[in-house]
Amino acid sequence: MTTQHQGFSAEVARARTIRYTWWLAALAVIVVISTVRLYTGADRITAPGTLRAAIIGACPILLAGLGGLWAERAGIVNIGLEGQMLLGTWGAAFFAYHYGPLAGVLGAALMGLLGGLLHAIATVSFGVDHIISGVAINIVGLGAIGFLAKTTFDDLEGGGPRNLSGYSTPPEFTVPLVADGARSLADRNWFIISDVAGAIAGVTTRLSLLTVLTFVLVGVTAWVLWRTSFGLRLRSCGENPQAAETLGIDVYRYKYVAVLISGAFAGLGGAYLAMVASSSFTVGQTGGRGYIGLAAMIFGNWRPSGVLTGSLMFGYTDGISLLSNSGVLVHALLLLVAIGLAVFAVLKLRAAEKITAAVMAGLSIGAFVWYFSSDSVNTSFTGMTPYVVTLFVLAVFSQRLRMPAADGQQYRRGGAG
Amino acid sequence: MRRLSTYGVALATCGLILTACGTAADDNDSDNDAAAAECETVQLEGDPQVGLAYDVGGRGDQSFNDSAYAGLTQAVSEFGIAEVTEGEAGQDESEDIREERLRTFADSGHNVIVGVGFAYSEAVDTVAPDYPNVAFAVIDGFDPTEDDVNCNVAYLGFAENEGSFLVGAAAALQSQTGTIGFVGGVNNTLIQKFEAGYAAGAEAVNPDINILTTYIEESDPAGFGDPAGGQAAAEGQYADGADIVFHAAGFSGTGVFDAAVAADKLAIGVDSDQFLTAGPEQAQHIITSMLKRVDTATYEFIASAVNGEPDQGFTTFTLADDGVGYSTSGNFLTPETIAALEDYKAQIIAGDIEVPTQP
Repeated sequence: MTTQHQGFSAEVARARTIRYTWWLAALAVIVVISTVRLYTGADRITAPGTLRAAIIGACPILLAGLGGLWAERAGIVNIGLEGQMLLGTWGAAFFAYHYGPLAGVLGAALMGLLGGLLHAIATVSFGVDHIISGVAINIVGLGAIGFLAKTTFDDLEGGGPRNLSGYSTPPEFTVPLVADGARSLADRNWFIISDVAGAIAGVTTRLSLLTVLTFVLVGVTAWVLWRTSFGLRLRSCGENPQAAETLGIDVYRYKYVAVLISGAFAGLGGAYLAMVASSSFTVGQTGGRGYIGLAAMIFGNWRPSGVLTGSLMFGYTDGISLLSNSGVLVHALLLLVAIGLAVFAVLKLRAAEKITAAVMAGLSIGAFVWYFSSDSVNTSFTGMTPYVVTLFVLAVFSQRLRMPAADGQQYRRGGAG
Repeated sequence: MRRLSTYGVALATCGLILTACGTAADDNDSDNDAAAAECETVQLEGDPQVGLAYDVGGRGDQSFNDSAYAGLTQAVSEFGIAEVTEGEAGQDESEDIREERLRTFADSGHNVIVGVGFAYSEAVDTVAPDYPNVAFAVIDGFDPTEDDVNCNVAYLGFAENEGSFLVGAAAALQSQTGTIGFVGGVNNTLIQKFEAGYAAGAEAVNPDINILTTYIEESDPAGFGDPAGGQAAAEGQYADGADIVFHAAGFSGTGVFDAAVAADKLAIGVDSDQFLTAGPEQAQHIITSMLKRVDTATYEFIASAVNGEPDQGFTTFTLADDGVGYSTSGNFLTPETIAALEDYKAQIIAGDIEVPTQP
């Protein structure tokens, strides 16, 4: 009884230390960002408008990433997220135009779910290679919405054969008092306080209900997959489906459910693009966000919190590339990148990974040199920022990532032998 | 394997060079012809059948492409053209898809073909020589091989810088904050003409005006069909203090208007009179539009073909012939502003003001 009790309290203490470390790390990041902001004078790094743009950029990626997480946790690689998102954009526009914003959101999820169903039938029931099925869905998705748009939107008011606008979108609200208070603090340009206030103001101003739903879904995903027996069974299908089968789990059913949910999430991502990031539909407006979502999921090590971090980072770089005079802002971020690389180099050196440390240090010096030898980054580069960051992060972190053990593998019922 | 592919590349290169030589030789012939004599009138075979290929954004963009559609509709109803086909461009399609679209039109008997948007310039240049009895037109077009004159192509250009000058002056006259914005779809020479004129007009009114500029894409035509990008770009400019934003971004402009509605700021439309084409809520924020009479250009080209003498060569629609201008729908422009704009317009037409084409 006592030993069990001691073991329990030791575990609590360890969890607490980990939590403190995370808080300290987060605080350190904020301090560094704030210092860089004051040093470079690029106050827009943490301005409310910038962070709002970042969140709007992040949400579609986040929804796609969560969709990818659901499928891959059950062992199905869903590279068809892009196609399911595309189906979602049409679903959102069509149903919102005729039946209002709530129907639009549900319709988008339904269309995404249909895309997921197609993927599930191909990969789970027929054992088609996951990548091939996914790529096919991306192609079919684009073709399908092109056809659907032409047949359903051409004659509508505000519509054309490839686009539609003039439908209602989910309501937005501004948190009273908090938003204004945070905004006035953010405008003072104080150390740390203004940065945090900027983030709060960015989040609380004209917040769409769909944005709220997106962040709620992160929590729901984490809870369902890691805190319920359903989630445990689902993940066991991604880790070792044969073992799951021997324990009496209907692996096919769990895989189906996971891929259907995955498609629905991607469809919601499409709804976000067509209803919050803009209020118009056009064929092919996802612009590769499904793939970036997949990258965010890999960056996030197949964990919801990681997907959230990755999406916010990609969303931030995506958002700032569309700010006016973004060259100066990206230039200031170079300094941030240089410092971040230097910190990683030190950490790697302490972990005795000399080669990685050397590469990091070299890159860090390169970034410092670039920063101090120029005043602004060419706008051609700012547009590339999200993709460069994706590549870079994957290159740096990929060694520490662990995907579900049976991810992407074909599973046949009765294979447990 | 590697060696094999090296040979492949070498062979392909040879092939390319050879074909290039072939066309270069042809070029010289037609060049001489063109230099020797004026192009002869294109002889259309049979009744005029119109094919209209849209740019990215497509019909329903409430802007550029819709303006071309308006011209087409007018021509069709006026001349009773029986056979009309429209073609839609995809978000990121390659050059050969555009060529294929034009060839499909020509092969199926269409003899009056309009490519809407500069993106068709290269495709028309490739396709047109194969169909000497088909009259082509490219709106905003340029001739990529200027030595080689295509006698059956009309390049319909506009003095966008002049029209943009006027809306830039309007923005500067009515701005409360002294900061105005410009959102371009793609950072190319065509859209830079809008930016240059807009900035020149604003600075003519107020030399100290602060102009924010954002391009949605650096080179990808998808920037004309990205409302989310337009919204993000305009939202950033409004947050940075701009109170009037002018867009030259095709369908992405709907995102700019959404941002104007959300921020309760103002916007300036482009190509069509967007006060009339946008939704009722958006329209209340569109103070004027830079009119680019793509409809007139399309209509006049089809009319010339119907009359048996299709337009050829370069035509530029300017302020002087009302090819570009500004709209006053919604009565957002004050009488003083309109008076000032008319004054500038007269000066530009008279040549007293030279509007730049490069920012």
